[in-house]
Amino acid sequence: MLGYRSFSTSSVSLKVGCAMVKPVHHRVKVIKKLLSPRFPELKLSPTDPRSPKFRPEITHQDRVQEHIHNTLRSDLMLINYIHGEKPAEGLKRRQWDFTSPYHINRPARPPKGEKVPTPTIMPQSWKNVPGIEKVVVHSFVANCTSDPKLNIGVSLQLQQITGVKPQSVYAKTNLPSFGLRKGVKMGAKVELTGRDASQFLSTLTELVLPRITTFEGISNRAGSRYGTVSFGLKPEDVLYFPEIYYNQDAWAKRFGMDITIHTTAQLDREARQLLSGLGLPFVGTEREPKLTR
Amino acid sequence: MLSNVRTSIIRQVDYLTSGTQLHFIRTKRKKAGSDKSEVRKLVTQLSVLSANRKQPKLLKFSNEDYVKHQVIQKSWNLYVRDKKAEEANILQKQYESIRAANEDLQSVSKELFSFANTREPSKRFPLELRVPTEYPPNQIWHHDYTPKVEKKK
Repeated sequence: MLGYRSFSTSSVSLKVGCAMVKPVHHRVKVIKKLLSPRFPELKLSPTDPRSPKFRPEITHQDRVQEHIHNTLRSDLMLINYIHGEKPAEGLKRRQWDFTSPYHINRPARPPKGEKVPTPTIMPQSWKNVPGIEKVVVHSFVANCTSDPKLNIGVSLQLQQITGVKPQSVYAKTNLPSFGLRKGVKMGAKVELTGRDASQFLSTLTELVLPRITTFEGISNRAGSRYGTVSFGLKPEDVLYFPEIYYNQDAWAKRFGMDITIHTTAQLDREARQLLSGLGLPFVGTEREPKLTR
Repeated sequence: MLSNVRTSIIRQVDYLTSGTQLHFIRTKRKKAGSDKSEVRKLVTQLSVLSANRKQPKLLKFSNEDYVKHQVIQKSWNLYVRDKKAEEANILQKQYESIRAANEDLQSVSKELFSFANTREPSKRFPLELRVPTEYPPNQIWHHDYTPKVEKKK
C-alpha cells in the first residue's frame, strides 16, 4: 500500500506496513458538551487554560524578534528600496492558444525554463519587510538502514537541542545501491516557530558557530532562490550545543543536521541581509537571480 | 535484540593417529539478559521522548483566577496589536520620507540619484552587531584585534 492514501489518514503514507499510530492514552479529559457545534458560546479559545490546546507560550522575552523589529526592519527596508521600481513578473504557466479543439481541458504548459511557476517579486515597501518565518532542523541518518536503533538517538538529540517534539522522516525512494527502501525511518526533523526558533537561532549564533574552528560562514550560494537559506552542521560541530557539550558521556553518538531558515523575504539576498543582522556570517560569491524588471 | 548465546569455541585438534577431532571448550555462561546496558539506555532515551511526560497537568483555577487570566490575555493582545500598528506606522512614515527624498534628488541631481539607487546585493549588517542582552559581557568584541600575519619563509 505504499504511496497510496491510507484508509485512516489523509496524507500519503510513505511508511512501511500498516499505518500504526502509537496510542497516547488520554490524559486530558475531553468535555464533550464543549465540543458540540450546537453551543458555539461554550467553545474555549486556545488562550483559555481550560482548553487542552492551551500552551503558556509567552513566558519570556523574545530577544531575537525584538532585535529584528527594533533595529533591523527599518534598515532592511531602506537598503532594498529602489525608487520607481516595478514588480518583476515571475514565470507563470503558459496557456494554450485554443486554435485546436484539443486545447480545451489540456493542462497549461510549465513556464519557460522552469518546472513550477516562479513568484512575482514586488518592490520593497513598508508592507513587505522580511522577517523570520520558521526554522527546520532536519537529520537524515544514512546508517539507519542497517541500525534502526539510531532513530531513537537522532530524535532525542533534536529534542534536547531544540526543546520541540521531533517528527520522524522516512525514505522517499528506493535506492538499492545504498540499501535504501521506500518507507524506512531514516532520521528526524523539527519545525521551530516563534520563541523556539528564536532560542535556537541565538544558541546557534552565540554559542555554537563561534566555537566551530572550521566554520567560515554560510555560503552565499546556498538557498532556494526565494527567501530560504540552508546550511549544515557536521556531527563534530553538533558537540558545541550546550545540551550536548556539558553531557558528552551520554552523547557518544552524535548526528549531523541540516538547518533551513525560512524567511518572509522575497529573494535570498534579502534573507541573507536579514540573517546577517542576527550574527550569521556569509561567505563566497553572490549569485544574482535573473529577473525581468 | 542482543545475543545472549553461550559462546563455545570449537577447536580442531589434529591427531596424527586418529585424524581430525572436534573438541568443545565451554566458556563462562552468560546469564540470560545480563548485558542489558544498551537496551536500558535505549529505553531511557525512549522514555524521555515519550508523549506521556509532555502532557502537563491541567491548571486548576478558581473563577476569580479565570477572570484575571482573561483580563491579562486581553490586555496583552491589545498591547501587541498597538505595538504592531505603531511599528507599521513608523515604517510607513520612513517609506514616505525616503520616497519624497528620492523624488527631490531626481529633480536636483540625476547622477546622485542613480548613485543612491544602485542595488547592493552583498550588503550586510556588520558582524559586530549583537542581539541586545540585559547582561552583556564586559568585553563586547575584541576591538584591537589584528589577524596574525604569517611569516614569509
